[in-house]
Amino acid sequence: MTDEAPEGSGALGAPEAPDPDEAQRAIEYCYDQGWSDGLPLVPVSRPLLDRFLATTDKEPDEIIGSLEQVGRDVDVRTAAINAAMAGCKPEYFPVVLAAFDALMRERAARGGGFQSTSGPAPLIVVNGPVRKELGFNTAGGAFGPGFRPNMTIPRAVGLIVRNAFGIHPHVLEQATQGVPGRWSICVAENEEESPWEPFAENGGAGGGVSAVSVTLTRTMEFVDNRHTPNHEDVLRDLQDTIGRIGSLIFPQTSVALVLCPEHAQMFAAAGMSKADVQNWLIERSGRTGREFRLMGKESVATKTFHGPFEGDDAFHAILSGPRQIPVIVAGAKNAAISMVVRIFGEWSGTAVPVVEKK
Amino acid sequence: MPNAILDPTGSVKSKAATAAAPRARRPASLNGARVGLLINTKQNARPFLEEVGRLLTEKYDVTLTERTKVNFAVPEPDEVIKELVADSDVVITGVGDCGSCSAAAAADGVVLETAGVPVAAIITESFIPTADAMAALRGAPGYKYATTAHPVAVLTEDKVKERAAQVLDDVVALLTDSSGKND
Repeated sequence: MTDEAPEGSGALGAPEAPDPDEAQRAIEYCYDQGWSDGLPLVPVSRPLLDRFLATTDKEPDEIIGSLEQVGRDVDVRTAAINAAMAGCKPEYFPVVLAAFDALMRERAARGGGFQSTSGPAPLIVVNGPVRKELGFNTAGGAFGPGFRPNMTIPRAVGLIVRNAFGIHPHVLEQATQGVPGRWSICVAENEEESPWEPFAENGGAGGGVSAVSVTLTRTMEFVDNRHTPNHEDVLRDLQDTIGRIGSLIFPQTSVALVLCPEHAQMFAAAGMSKADVQNWLIERSGRTGREFRLMGKESVATKTFHGPFEGDDAFHAILSGPRQIPVIVAGAKNAAISMVVRIFGEWSGTAVPVVEKK
Repeated sequence: MPNAILDPTGSVKSKAATAAAPRARRPASLNGARVGLLINTKQNARPFLEEVGRLLTEKYDVTLTERTKVNFAVPEPDEVIKELVADSDVVITGVGDCGSCSAAAAADGVVLETAGVPVAAIITESFIPTADAMAALRGAPGYKYATTAHPVAVLTEDKVKERAAQVLDDVVALLTDSSGKND
């Protein structure tokens, strides 16, 4: 029973004001069960769950992912509870399902990714009309915060891994330091200011459909270059960061380029397609054997895993092909700052369409 | 009456063992035993296990087979487990020095024990909680394995050999039962 009705609620049929004290009790209950990622959870009731389930044709008991080594499956119903707890609206649920599907296509996610000392985070990329329909941030501040879909959808994925797969910090989850912003990285591509095809098309979901692509990232480093009209100078700056030895542990690596609209438009104005940018960087990204050796990483400057050191003078290229350097366009057209995103493992190369209830 | 708050942890379990997993019978000694080395491909795992193998050969005249794990981060597939069961009396696996490979080493141990093969998994001390959690999940709470200090990956060749010598007694104790009865 509320003490005081708020203004305007005296009319017939108007809802009572919510009870903050009862809400706090419910939030603390969820913390006490060990369900939380550290932030308050939305306590979920059957009516709320039903609203989520109503957004998809999938059956509630359909299995949507398994982590074999821990013997756990997750079904649609459980995913919906976690999505609701994360603060998603019911209409976000088809995107959550597509994101989780895309994540579980990553070999590293099905393997040891969630347990790894690297503490990698899903990088979720959303394309298509769903961006506007659900109110994703598609412009400045692409990496957050401030927008409910961008924050709650990756959070839902994180809660599924914690609660449904049972991967808890310091137990099965063994990150040394982990990625800042783990479980909160969801970028809606700035298709409107990209000079190129939507990223989802590179993952096989063309035709402007709504689709989600996911890979795992260990970290990301900005490249701030607003200094030159020469696009190759900017490419060299990107190449320099891509080749940073500190981020290299195996002979080959993958990075995602999240280019700001200014950089992307600069490359396109110079006549470069996405593939041209990728090829330019593939040919040149790497370091000499000597540079690796000086950091104790001869085992990285090899042709094959566990192969012999290529020698001081050899140039060791670290990107083997276009799938190792996906390119996304995001952010505001207000400064020439792009992001090199380190990929954990290798992107599956697949964009998963968002399927709404028929 | 308010609605219940729903549980997000799910109830769908898949096939990984939750029933109690048995520990294999141990031989009284390793004399002449066929020892399978299951190398997880982490830095220094091969020299570490090979040195353990060499010391066992000197002491107990064992015969060694070496295998590298298909994927260090996850437990071995069924086909490999079958091969190990067929050609090894005991298995030594390691070195579990990361988040996923330490859990996988414990899981490999539990699975092989259930199949009747004694295992000494070598895991670095930083990963005791995760190895224990995986063993419990697999139906073998308190599963015993050998530990060595962390890190192993950055050790010199000589230091790796020292570590192997230090862990030898633990490995032998894990793989044998000289009391005449088995756990």
